[in-house]
Amino acid sequence: MQHTPETRRGKWVGLPALFVAFFRLGVMSFGGGTAGWLYREIVERRRWINDKEFLSGAALGRLVPGSSGVNLTVQVGQQLRGGAGAATAVLALLSGPLAIVLALAAAYDGVGQSHVLHAVLDGVAAAAIGLTFATGLKLVQFNRASAGPLAVTIATVLCVGVLRWPMIPVVLCIAPVSIGLALLDRRGRNV
Amino acid sequence: MSEELRTLLALTLVFAPLSLLSIGGGAALLAEIEHQSVAVHAWTTQREFADLFAISRAAPGPGTMLSTLIGWKVAGFAGALTATALPPLVTSGLWRGAALGPLARLALAFGGGAWARSHRLRIDTGGRRRRAARIARRARCLGRGGAVGGLDIVPSESPSARALLGWRSGVRLGRRARSVVT
Repeated sequence: MQHTPETRRGKWVGLPALFVAFFRLGVMSFGGGTAGWLYREIVERRRWINDKEFLSGAALGRLVPGSSGVNLTVQVGQQLRGGAGAATAVLALLSGPLAIVLALAAAYDGVGQSHVLHAVLDGVAAAAIGLTFATGLKLVQFNRASAGPLAVTIATVLCVGVLRWPMIPVVLCIAPVSIGLALLDRRGRNV
Repeated sequence: MSEELRTLLALTLVFAPLSLLSIGGGAALLAEIEHQSVAVHAWTTQREFADLFAISRAAPGPGTMLSTLIGWKVAGFAGALTATALPPLVTSGLWRGAALGPLARLALAFGGGAWARSHRLRIDTGGRRRRAARIARRARCLGRGGAVGGLDIVPSESPSARALLGWRSGVRLGRRARSVVT
């Protein structure tokens, strides 16, 4: 297999350097696009990991539950410095945003019920909801989806979004159906 | 004090299971987080939730800050820390292949296959690369490895992982698989 180990394990990344890099990353990554920023910062600028490692980390990060950016960070930290590296990286990634968000929240509490503030927040929320909605639409892939997956999607939206049923039981019921449909679909295509 | 602990426990019980469901990103959880914090636990009003959501999106960070804000609103700094630290702890527990390792692999094998294949990514969950590569190659040699083709889930040498790989490829990989092909 093409796993030519171009491992430059000689590259020793100190924990402080790791912390600084991921702290910067956390503070810079607006809008949740952590993976893109991480690529620029860690792969292109510092060359701590290579493209292949980044890609497999990103793939795993998407597949395993949790925020994909945080997962990727755990993965990279783990690769560079083991468990301590993973813990350092996550701590660094989250501490900056945590401080900023808490400062904003404290300010929000201090200002209280001002009309201007509510107007501003409403505007931001509307934009954020639009972005989230757009992401969802993009993920559905209307051009490729067949009836089964679409039905599953719509059923989930109805149950959780409209009927307001609790999400965990809904997912536990729908996920097996969805997986079964996907298996049937694949079998049909393979034959 | 015990009141506060109870609140922290409630936060944990809401966010820990949710973080296990957030495959592919946290946006899918918004509706449920809203439901839990407004209707079920009355941690925030509808209005406050919208405001906190806006703040969490306007700030930098990897998009997990909404739970931080709710934690902060409910139980101050301790709440914020709990709600922030929890998801990474839960999911990195998954990663490290500790108690829940097989679960993560299962999720990978089932849910991830199609996505990874469509992106032509090779997934390597660590472990012995060369041996796993041999297993994958054997599956391909037998001519039925198409299903493994785009996606080499390369697990460790654990029997369950090998069985999973074999099942996906339509090939039964015996214990001696690793010594058959070089």
